[in-house]
Amino acid sequence: MASPFSRALQLTDLDDFIGPSQDCTKPVKVDRRPGSGTAKIHIEDDGSYFQVSQDGGARKLEKAKISLKDCLACSGCVTSAESVLITQQSHEELRKVLNANKAAPPEQQRLVVVSVSPQSTASLAARFQLSPTDTAKKLTSFFKQIGVHYVFDTAFSRNFSLLESQREFVQRFRKQANSGQALPVLASACPGWVCYAEKTHGSVLLPHLSTARSPQQVMGVLVKDFFAQQQHRSPDQLYHVAVMPCYDKKLEAARPDFFNQEFQTRDVDCVLTTGEVSTLLDEEGVVFPDLESTPLDALSSCASTEEPISHWGGGSGGYLEHVFRHAARELFGIHVAEVTYKPLRNKDFQEVTLERDSQVLLRFAATYGFRNIQNVVQKIRRGRCPYHYVEVMACPSGCLNGGGQLRAPDGHGRELLQQVERLYRTVRTQAPEDVPGVLELYEYWLQGLGSDRAARLLHTQYHAVEKTSSSFNIKW
Amino acid sequence: MKDSLVLLGRVPAHPDSRCWYLAWNPAGTLLASCGGDRRVRIWGTEGDSWICKSILSDGHQRTVRKVAWSPCGNYLASASFDATTCIWKKSQDDFECVTTLEGHENEVKSVAWAPSGNLLATCSRDKSVWVWEVDEEDEYECVSVLNSHTQDVKHVVWHPSQELLASASYDDTVKLYREEEDDWVCCATLEGHESTVWSLAFDPSGQRLASCSDDRTVRIWRQYPPGNEQGVACSGSDPSWKCICTLSGFHSRTIYDVAWCQLTGALATACGDDAIRVFEEDPGSNPQQPTFSLTAHLPQAHSQDVNCVAWNPKELGLLASCSDDGEVAFWKYQQPEGL
Repeated sequence: MASPFSRALQLTDLDDFIGPSQDCTKPVKVDRRPGSGTAKIHIEDDGSYFQVSQDGGARKLEKAKISLKDCLACSGCVTSAESVLITQQSHEELRKVLNANKAAPPEQQRLVVVSVSPQSTASLAARFQLSPTDTAKKLTSFFKQIGVHYVFDTAFSRNFSLLESQREFVQRFRKQANSGQALPVLASACPGWVCYAEKTHGSVLLPHLSTARSPQQVMGVLVKDFFAQQQHRSPDQLYHVAVMPCYDKKLEAARPDFFNQEFQTRDVDCVLTTGEVSTLLDEEGVVFPDLESTPLDALSSCASTEEPISHWGGGSGGYLEHVFRHAARELFGIHVAEVTYKPLRNKDFQEVTLERDSQVLLRFAATYGFRNIQNVVQKIRRGRCPYHYVEVMACPSGCLNGGGQLRAPDGHGRELLQQVERLYRTVRTQAPEDVPGVLELYEYWLQGLGSDRAARLLHTQYHAVEKTSSSFNIKW
Repeated sequence: MKDSLVLLGRVPAHPDSRCWYLAWNPAGTLLASCGGDRRVRIWGTEGDSWICKSILSDGHQRTVRKVAWSPCGNYLASASFDATTCIWKKSQDDFECVTTLEGHENEVKSVAWAPSGNLLATCSRDKSVWVWEVDEEDEYECVSVLNSHTQDVKHVVWHPSQELLASASYDDTVKLYREEEDDWVCCATLEGHESTVWSLAFDPSGQRLASCSDDRTVRIWRQYPPGNEQGVACSGSDPSWKCICTLSGFHSRTIYDVAWCQLTGALATACGDDAIRVFEEDPGSNPQQPTFSLTAHLPQAHSQDVNCVAWNPKELGLLASCSDDGEVAFWKYQQPEGL
């Protein structure tokens, strides 16, 4: 099977198809029970191991498990860990939680929340030949039918991610005078890119990464912190699923930074790709267009339940455009009516500049796909990067073309992508600060814009992974 | 047959180390060698003997696996296990490292310049093939990262006149790539070898490609354009590549390199059994099913594995070889009479 991960991730050996057992260097802690000096080990027909003590009693032995978290923090084989991923974050896992809920008494049921990315909605809309609004409403209907309690849109959490990115850029730009390290700022919403940066060029790139959390992880805290409180539940009593255009998002959800130690729960428990949701629809035997249109759920009482709201600036979240407009206004008092992209080497490497009296004030770039990332990385390494901000995405054409999106039959990939892009653009856009509920949440939940609490909940950190030498020394 | 390959000279090119690869400059006046001692050496003649004209050190931290001259002869690229590729600029006898190409995750296995000189290809144990573009200011930008192979990529070579790239891999296949819109795509996979494909060589016309393998065979592949008279099926507008000849039973170990003489069409091989062999196409053999004869076989050409064979591009029959024994040998090949 071809790897589902982005190229950037594959190249970090993260998907090397080495089973954890084959070449794993991670020490595994085994809980040893006291007593029993010598014992026999008996292997059952199904391959499970039993320890047989002298008195004849048998105890099943636990398998040594390497979790995805271990893999992410290790620079050894760093396996695909695909099997780990698939067991921890799959539509089967969601089904298990829903089934357990059905069997459990009400007070033990977990509240199940699904947050759907607008890119996934657009991909499904293309499959069913519906508008994104109809798709979102029918998808809400479907999830509620199978036992999900709330369905949200990650375009809402993206408002916070964009606002934090804007503020951060302006701050770093102003600091530029005394610290050469601050620029360029590199967007960090793409987990494939972040993982690549951490594993291959940690010390050089990490200081440049924007610390603003991605829409998925902002949604994580919105659900497990704000929403849980509203529902008078503890974070671990909520099961939070994100529907994403990309497999790498599963790795992001598994980062230790997004794990709540106190309640032993993740901000996002499970990430499903658009394709996995499509499989779930098929397996449930749903005729999607026939589903009812249920009003949309919202995290804020002032938000619309009739139509989703998106952002301008392209299918990868619009980071470049939002930061650009905000910086032009804040730093230079210039109102940007329209952002003009200039394609450079290829369609996935575009430049945007702000000029006054033929002097370039701001120079931004959008670089998608691994080859373009390479050129930006090399420019930064050599101290010859002309950009103030770069919107970096691991996939060619960005998130609408993510590895988790629905695939077209051979040879029709471009047509489908264009259709998805067109559908995505039909959703009404609004500036993040104007979206109903956003500023209110800043006020009541985060104790104001720029508060310590906002910094803690809406930002994250990155960790360089030290390279260890390869386990075998290649000679040919 | 023994007299058809005569030793002209032997130099300890990379003493106490292995010599991995050789490359003649386009004028045929200089030979570059590289080895496990992390160095590149440049060889030229003085009178009848081969002498070392320059040593390129300080470029690499680990083994230099392959070297390639630019078509203009003014640049040399060296691919190393330190995950980098160095570009050296020549001025008289001096070479200066002008750029280091970084990006591969681990060992770079091969490097090759396109006939135009504007494109460079590299490949690595990280399973990828990269295409780089060179601009007027000697700046290199990555234009494509190709992940078609599923294992270590051993070799890359360009078509002699077109922008068509071929790669050979530990996954037992050969892949071909061409530019499509603003990216590169894999346009053919050549399957047939039963083990690692170590090296590739196009014939002078570019119509045929020779591949050599750990399976101890050389295969000759021929290009069939869409609508060809022979009725070989093609998908879309891409030509098909079909194996038209397999040289088996000649080699007793892994064949590490194959070289197709651009002047005479003779095919030389470097083998793990320490031997060098030369093959020639039988006159009048069917172009759709050609037959080749072994015209030279030197069993103890080197004291250890032969890693590379290289035909001089200008001087008829001049062949260089190198080995794990660290030596470079120069040979004069003469086509046996009666062929």
